[in-house]
Amino acid sequence: MTKPLLTAYNWSPDKGAGLVRDMRVRWALEEVGQPYDVRHLNWGEQKEPEHRARNPFGQVPAYEEGGLVLFESGAIVLHIAEGRPGLLPEDKAGRARAIQWMFAAINTVEPVLWERVIAKVIEGDKPWTKDRLPAIDARVHERLGELSARLGDAQWLDGAFSAGDLLMVQVLRTLGSSGILESYPNLADYVARGEARPAFARALAALRAGLTGAPPADWPY
Amino acid sequence: MPKPVITAFDWVPWFARGQVRDLRVRWALEEVEQDYHVRYLPQGTQKQPPHRMLQPFGQVPTYEQGGLTLFESGAIVLHIAEAHGGLLPSETEARSRAIEWMFAALNTVEPPISDYAIATLFENHEPWSEPRLPSILARISERLDELSRRLAESEWLDGDFSGGDLLMIAVLRQLKGSPLESTHANLGFYVARGEARPAFQRALAAQMAGFTAEPPPEYAFLDRPPTDQGESK
Repeated sequence: MTKPLLTAYNWSPDKGAGLVRDMRVRWALEEVGQPYDVRHLNWGEQKEPEHRARNPFGQVPAYEEGGLVLFESGAIVLHIAEGRPGLLPEDKAGRARAIQWMFAAINTVEPVLWERVIAKVIEGDKPWTKDRLPAIDARVHERLGELSARLGDAQWLDGAFSAGDLLMVQVLRTLGSSGILESYPNLADYVARGEARPAFARALAALRAGLTGAPPADWPY
Repeated sequence: MPKPVITAFDWVPWFARGQVRDLRVRWALEEVEQDYHVRYLPQGTQKQPPHRMLQPFGQVPTYEQGGLTLFESGAIVLHIAEAHGGLLPSETEARSRAIEWMFAALNTVEPPISDYAIATLFENHEPWSEPRLPSILARISERLDELSRRLAESEWLDGDFSGGDLLMIAVLRQLKGSPLESTHANLGFYVARGEARPAFQRALAAQMAGFTAEPPPEYAFLDRPPTDQGESK
């Protein structure tokens, strides 16, 4: 099998926090022990036709393996998890529930956290943002409260660490230094457990080592 | 195998009828010709402990079959597609690409569309909603431009109709009645092709037929669109 080729940025607005979505794929590849190569894009090249052929939405990551070209980090993580042991349970029901948590991470939890990022960063200078934040935060707390109640004292969401935990931990990391996660000690510990995994550390180190580029001249933030 | 049981609401606001996410699961079940039962929930009970045991976020749908309980409509559609023929190609790489479109629908295209629904329906009375609309519409437009270019003249996103098309069409249908409903001709035809499928028609009819309850008193004003409530008074 050829080594997969991942596309990532050589500069990112999160200053190497590992929030760009290639982190999910790197982490999954490290968990299953699959070496990979990286093609680094200058910021802006993701919107050029060459990359849009790989990802029509002009984003990273893209994933190439043999003749297969994939985009969407969740789909790539699932593809990796299906091809190699370690990220999905073998029994059918356990496998379906792990995949359920992958979708919960990206379709139920991530949108409300991302809404907060858009409000704080992209719409941070808008006059209405300050009034709107409490409504956003209420939605964030509703989801986190529900997730916290379900996780309880468990180490991972459903049995052993799975691709569902990988995506959920990465999504929760979006909260960064907001202080919100700290209101849910079991979720904060959950994220810390994820970040303490050797595969996570290797993935983050590799991501940071690839950040050799400069910000675009017109970067506004 | 026993018939699967899904959960759905017995009443929702007028704007959610034909959009609640059990539609996605019903459509998938109809495509693979799997009969199912529905357990209907009165509004509010989705947030009570018995349903939260099945769905920690207090939403519909859920899916129960044998000993398996699942939530998240995307995961349920994928589970149905894996258990039956018809919604995923059998060839490994094509299968991964169909799943890629399922994730693209839910994680790339749907979030800005949900943002629009929040601003125009759930928070339409908030002072920030109207000034935000241009930027929300711009974010959706960017995604629609990209999707429209990729789809081009094709019938479906990647070869035959798949679970990826099913979710993408379910997501795009939420733009009905918005300024972006018909800005991209090929996407309009794409949604119409999906809605013309007999399985979709059966799923939609079944969801609509399930709204048999009266609204809870505090939501009675959401039982009909504002224009239906008699401008003459």
